[in-house]
Amino acid sequence: MSLKELNTYALQALEEAGAEKAEAVITRSEKTEMNLENGALKLIRTTVDHHLRLTALQDQRQGSILLNKIHRQALAPAVKEVMAIAASSAPDPAHDIAAYQPPKIFSKGETTPDLDLMYQRVKAFTQQVAADFPRIVLLNAHLDFTRQTTFFQNSNGVDFTVNQGGYRFAITFSAQEGDSSSSFNNTGFFTLNLDQALLNCGSLRILLDQANQGQAPRKAPGKFIGDVIITPDCLEGFLHSLLGITISDGPLIAGTSPFQHKLNQLVASPCLTLASCPVSPEISSGYFITSDGYEAQNTPIIENGVLKTFLLSQYGANKTGLTRAVNDGGAFVVTPGDQPLAEILKGVKKGLLLNRFSGGAPSPNGDFSGVAKNSFYIEDGAIQYPLSETMIAGNLIALFQSIAAVSQERIDFGSALLPWIYAQGVTISG
Amino acid sequence: MNIDLSTYKGLFTDYTELRCQENNSLVIGFLKGNNTTNTRLTTSGVSARVYKDGAWGFASSPETTADGVKFVITTATHNAAFLAAKERQDAPPLPHGEVTTHHDSPPTSQQLNPEQFVAFLQEIDHYIATNYPGLASRTVTLNRTELKKNLLTSDGASAFSLLSRSLIQIGLTVEQDGAPVSLHEVFGGRGQFETLFSTPEALYPKIDQLYEHLMRKREGIYAAAGLKTCILAPEMTGILAHEAIGHTCEADLVLGGSAVGTKRGQPVASPLVSLVDFAHTAFGETCPVPIFVDDEGTTARDTVLIDQGILKGFLHNKESACHFQVPPTGNARAYRFSDEPLIRMRNTAILPGKDRLEEMIASLDDGYYLMRPSNGQADATSEFMFGVTLGYEVKDGKLGRAIKDTTISGLAFQVLQTVSEISQEFKWLSGGMCGKKQLIPVGLGGPALKCQVMIGGR
Repeated sequence: MSLKELNTYALQALEEAGAEKAEAVITRSEKTEMNLENGALKLIRTTVDHHLRLTALQDQRQGSILLNKIHRQALAPAVKEVMAIAASSAPDPAHDIAAYQPPKIFSKGETTPDLDLMYQRVKAFTQQVAADFPRIVLLNAHLDFTRQTTFFQNSNGVDFTVNQGGYRFAITFSAQEGDSSSSFNNTGFFTLNLDQALLNCGSLRILLDQANQGQAPRKAPGKFIGDVIITPDCLEGFLHSLLGITISDGPLIAGTSPFQHKLNQLVASPCLTLASCPVSPEISSGYFITSDGYEAQNTPIIENGVLKTFLLSQYGANKTGLTRAVNDGGAFVVTPGDQPLAEILKGVKKGLLLNRFSGGAPSPNGDFSGVAKNSFYIEDGAIQYPLSETMIAGNLIALFQSIAAVSQERIDFGSALLPWIYAQGVTISG
Repeated sequence: MNIDLSTYKGLFTDYTELRCQENNSLVIGFLKGNNTTNTRLTTSGVSARVYKDGAWGFASSPETTADGVKFVITTATHNAAFLAAKERQDAPPLPHGEVTTHHDSPPTSQQLNPEQFVAFLQEIDHYIATNYPGLASRTVTLNRTELKKNLLTSDGASAFSLLSRSLIQIGLTVEQDGAPVSLHEVFGGRGQFETLFSTPEALYPKIDQLYEHLMRKREGIYAAAGLKTCILAPEMTGILAHEAIGHTCEADLVLGGSAVGTKRGQPVASPLVSLVDFAHTAFGETCPVPIFVDDEGTTARDTVLIDQGILKGFLHNKESACHFQVPPTGNARAYRFSDEPLIRMRNTAILPGKDRLEEMIASLDDGYYLMRPSNGQADATSEFMFGVTLGYEVKDGKLGRAIKDTTISGLAFQVLQTVSEISQEFKWLSGGMCGKKQLIPVGLGGPALKCQVMIGGR
């Protein structure tokens, strides 16, 4: 029995067991990974996994189970258990499954890794880093190729197959100067093939070059309200935090979102246009179907500062009476601005180039505070020195409302396409 | 999990670890009375890791069958051979640890059925809704986890280990001037749900306390940013021990340039400070995450990192122990069957002192009492940060207004030099998860500390 046949069989078994609505999803993944540790290639991993997720709805009660035993004999007890879990749940009319859509097969990327090419790319990367950036210590790095196949079917007739494959590279590094070491930094990217040298992808060359300069870090001068240029590596985390506390299921269902009644209203600076583009050719990774089982579409989230959509799941939409989002978020594309980064930098009187933010989870009202890591002090339009022991604090919503400029340049991470943004009004204390 | 791993010893050609593992979890969630989640997750499989001439090969499969085991051993062996042939490293063989066997006993208590779990949480949710109708939102979430591992190594070590954890997380949100203010707390820890949570009523006094703190936080002020004298409650000290010191003492990070690399035998903290990564037992009791044998088959032993202010040692797996020419400490741990073991902490704690928390607060003229942490991060430089979700200002020895969410940071070994008082009161934080490529459960413990840290604010 093929995996697709097994998934169909599982769905039928749920319906025969009495599920009024049912969903079955099988995912099989195979990963090949090369690992560097302290600059040396130390480990090759091959991991194979598959899992089956069954969801059943009965009398408005929902239960689900996920297991990675997907042979036919494992199905009967799994179906029995998921029906018991559903029966134990509290009823909620908002639970539902995706509506019918025509069957479709989606495919993207390569099917098998080129192990020798992976090895060559990693070796070339370590040699180039050693030659061009002698102060850099590659604490760890891994290049992996993952191939994933998903079968998504439900009792409304949804029948999707997704095949995706690609390479992901991630590194953690510091810079050594005598006995002392700089802060760790990390970055990475996703790519559909290994046509390019690893060092030329994502923001690797920029970050390694900055870290390699070897200038001794210092605290920012005292405490002041200043400006921040948020780098593409740092921006993605801020975007996830902002959307998490404002337009996702949790705060909207709870009724505590600061954007609860702000659809089609100005919520950020008019400089900011943000889209979620999981099926755009601009995004190499992305996804074809939502976790609910709908074919994903690209969508603007904030257009010239105006909120264009909430990121609600089907459950969240049913619960709030608002519209379901056409995707699950992520895959961020921020529209570039009209100024080069160098010009933006010249306009900063006193502030930071924020490369990494290490902070506590932001409060539900958007307040944040944390340490500016791998960052640089800016004064009178020029980068002065790298920072240590410097904290920043502010409010995420106010931060995005204060954006004064967006750079022309963007970094293509494969999973997101992001510029540098210039925002104001952050408390900086060194 | 019933597979006899010893059957496959004949397939080992180099140093090999063969591990069969099953992770079970149950998650039930209520958001404002809505049962948003009720799901059970089980993942199991087998993995092998092989060492050859300084190179490692790893492979895993979800199939815990003869074919699955053969696949992971042959693939891991092939991966190690591929890399060893390409890299040609001149590496010594791994140290042979003592041959050890360990077997944890299965749980004995009667387990609740799905309806009983849901009813238990519903009752808690109902209590909160009835007693505190002014809340804007509330969450009640159960997370029960169980890790079962069966290990065999080519050195002859064998172990069956079982780690259970049951947590109930309560989150309360209130609105103040149209903006949400939240506070949450995690209850429970190591062990079966049924032995940790007798009745919903047993949690009510703790929920009442949480609500009282929230009401004070609602009126809270921003902390004043800058260097402050603070008293860290035991919950905060535990995360300081883990994030600020423990990570910098992991031997792989030491080799990567951690700030402690050249400081063994030197003073790095106030003489009041001693810090230990406990394997399984501390102060005569079982730790939150007891590790008797690690995932390389090494018998786990307590590791003293700081003794009366002097840096004593690092946390090791077999390979790093070989590099530093010390015995392995039993810190090689993996989270899922498909994960390779990494150097990880187990139960990291600053040891209690002689002061009383009450008197420590009374002796502080101007500063903060910081009570509950959120997430934290560490760095090679020993610069740490962690979030603070509950704290109070202290003026003239008395607790004052609550503060809003904030973050504290500092260079760990500078902060530890400023420690002037350590409480007798000691507490484990038993719900911690550490992220370092993989997640893993850890125990974090400590007394209250009086020290100077940077606090984020306005």
